[in-house]
Amino acid sequence: MGTAETLTQAPHTKAARTSLRKRKNKEETNLAGYIFIAPWLIGFLLLTLWPIAQSFYLSFTEYSLLEAPVWTGTDNYANIFRNDDTFTKSLSVTFIFVLISVPLKLFFSLLVAMALSKNIRGMNVYRTAIYFPSLIGGSIAVAALWRNMFGLEGYVNQVLSWFGIQGVGWITNPDTALGTLILLNTWQFGSTMVIFLAGLKQIPQELYESASVDGAGRFRKFVSITLPMLSPVMFFNLVLGVIGSFQTFTSAFIITKGGPINSTYVYALFLYEKAFKHYQMGYASALAWILLVIVAVLTALNFLASRYWVFYESDGGRAK
Amino acid sequence: MRKRGSASLLLLSLALTLGMTACSSGGGNSNTSGNNAAGNEAGANNEPAKTEATTLSIMWWGPDARHEATKNALSIYTKQNANVTFKPEFMAWDAYWQKLPTLAASKSITDVLQMDAAFITEYVSRGQLEDLSDIDLSGIVDPKVIENLKIDGKLYGIPLSQNAQGIAYNKEELEKYGIALPKQNWTYDEFFQWARDAHAKLPEGKYPIGDSIGWDSFNFYQTSMGKDPVMAEEGKKFTLDKDLFMTYYKTYEEFRKAKIVPPAEQAAAFLENDPQADPMASGVLLTRGATTGSVSALEQLMPGKVGVVNMPIGPSGGGWAQSTIFLSVSANSKHKDEAKKFVQWFISDKEAGKALGLTRGIPINPEIYKELEPTLEPKDKLGKEIYDLSVEKALPFYSAAAGFTEWVDTYKKEMEAVTYGQQSIEDAYEKINKMGMDLAAKAGS
Repeated sequence: MGTAETLTQAPHTKAARTSLRKRKNKEETNLAGYIFIAPWLIGFLLLTLWPIAQSFYLSFTEYSLLEAPVWTGTDNYANIFRNDDTFTKSLSVTFIFVLISVPLKLFFSLLVAMALSKNIRGMNVYRTAIYFPSLIGGSIAVAALWRNMFGLEGYVNQVLSWFGIQGVGWITNPDTALGTLILLNTWQFGSTMVIFLAGLKQIPQELYESASVDGAGRFRKFVSITLPMLSPVMFFNLVLGVIGSFQTFTSAFIITKGGPINSTYVYALFLYEKAFKHYQMGYASALAWILLVIVAVLTALNFLASRYWVFYESDGGRAK
Repeated sequence: MRKRGSASLLLLSLALTLGMTACSSGGGNSNTSGNNAAGNEAGANNEPAKTEATTLSIMWWGPDARHEATKNALSIYTKQNANVTFKPEFMAWDAYWQKLPTLAASKSITDVLQMDAAFITEYVSRGQLEDLSDIDLSGIVDPKVIENLKIDGKLYGIPLSQNAQGIAYNKEELEKYGIALPKQNWTYDEFFQWARDAHAKLPEGKYPIGDSIGWDSFNFYQTSMGKDPVMAEEGKKFTLDKDLFMTYYKTYEEFRKAKIVPPAEQAAAFLENDPQADPMASGVLLTRGATTGSVSALEQLMPGKVGVVNMPIGPSGGGWAQSTIFLSVSANSKHKDEAKKFVQWFISDKEAGKALGLTRGIPINPEIYKELEPTLEPKDKLGKEIYDLSVEKALPFYSAAAGFTEWVDTYKKEMEAVTYGQQSIEDAYEKINKMGMDLAAKAGS
């Protein structure tokens, strides 16, 4: 039973483990630990790491799925950077999408989170009601709904016509199509909002009370207490938002198919079509690795920048 | 403590079992394929005994009606041949052509599969399809049809139906506005003039014809004028006639300015066979392209209102009328003989013919069609009408060559930019032509 007991206590504290266990016991613990994570580990090695390694190899080949891959060296990368106008176009579309939709979503979800953090009777009902659409937010059904709302004969134009405004084909007009996708992304604020809400609940009430005693107004409290205390949560949401938005796919795939004239041809859709429509697996793998590098660099930049604005209470001030 | 201990043990053993199943599922797969290989050797060495149980995997694309009909036909076959059962997979067109390449890559294409004229050369050139020339089709399919379908002298797909491309029009509305109905064998000049005349009689928001951005529409035009198809010799020869290209798209440019075709913004929202967004069923367009196999879906959206005519023609003819849907057998199948027997049965058995109806177009076997004819509904008769109108002037069916799928997309996008007024026809031509020439050079090397 010794092993089993060790297992139940192992996660508690590091110090307890090293001081109390014998060496042999510890090895057993490790083995047991590996066995415990084996289902995940095997899945990760076979279904994640192996395909990643494969795609790195394929990115240096020409591979149509029907024939064996042919080694072409760095040709794929050279073609992407030198000759591919669509690459440049889809990258710029994606940057615009990220640049607008991420801040918009952060702002909007913070706003909603603050409204929902008030202590009003029946608040749980409101929270559920507001979070509810997010349960289906990323689904194909919602994307299809969006298509109907913003179509030429869609609900949006119907409502506009009540005010005598002649609407445009929001989805089929190259100037507005990307906007509708950004709006949809912003509307899917649920999980971001919940994280903000949890963050707001963590801020000690005393801080607000003492600020009130000092005569601080609501705006002052927001700027000097809420924002700094919330900054780690905001940073977390920002990083996840940037990574997620770079990979946005469903809405562009379902609503606009990348059109009109490539105005919503986001990077993930470009990659998908190269791979599964034109069967250029090698080229698509190279695109995937470029995306990985871009996202990694941006995330690193985010972390670097975070030193200047994220406040960690536990460090007694600025982040390390 | 004891209780907690045993609970942990339970968890541990659970984790172990999970881990082991994860391992063994990988090993299990190779085992089964080993078994299959052994079974195949046995089958290849001597004719399989009649009682040997065989499971044929089969895959097709299509609408629900086709799925149901095909499943019924399969169960009829199992009734007649108790040793054969099926493992069917069926889906829509897009999903089908996404799935097939991955199956081809892992050499696990189903024993029997539906094939389309647009892709068959690609799969043949990759050695994925079995030569079916030895299947006896005499008395079932016209020998001339079979000769036309041969690729390098061999038959890789058993034709299932007659198909043709034509134009559907809104009979009711054309009569209402006093517009002459299109006539069989109209020329491109007559077609364009008809559009101009019809526009003069139509109210705002209604358009006689749609805009043209796909490569196939222009290919119809180019071949009808006696030129080569855009792609010939399996993609080694690329011809995009600049004069014809300019004439054709200048006409559409004039039409856009005169509002004879709908604005690009509106055209981009069209979705064929969607009750609200179909260009014709929504009442925006008075004509649209339709095939023998697809016109029934349109008829169901606007019952009794649809008339049909063949494609406009030029000096060389126009449109196409031939088989485009086939059944093929995988070159990697373990049950080739059973599969060949089945595909032959599929187009010759009367009971199967009745179960399948017109779900794949007009049955290729004249005897089966004769039996079905008295029971046809109006929607089915339209398909036959398109075929009958087209067959006289029909040109061959031209599909995109292997390796040209991306070019097809580029064509559409460049022409879309033209319809949105963001690019000149000349610029579009240069880009499309250059890409095509490059691909042809690559295919030839």
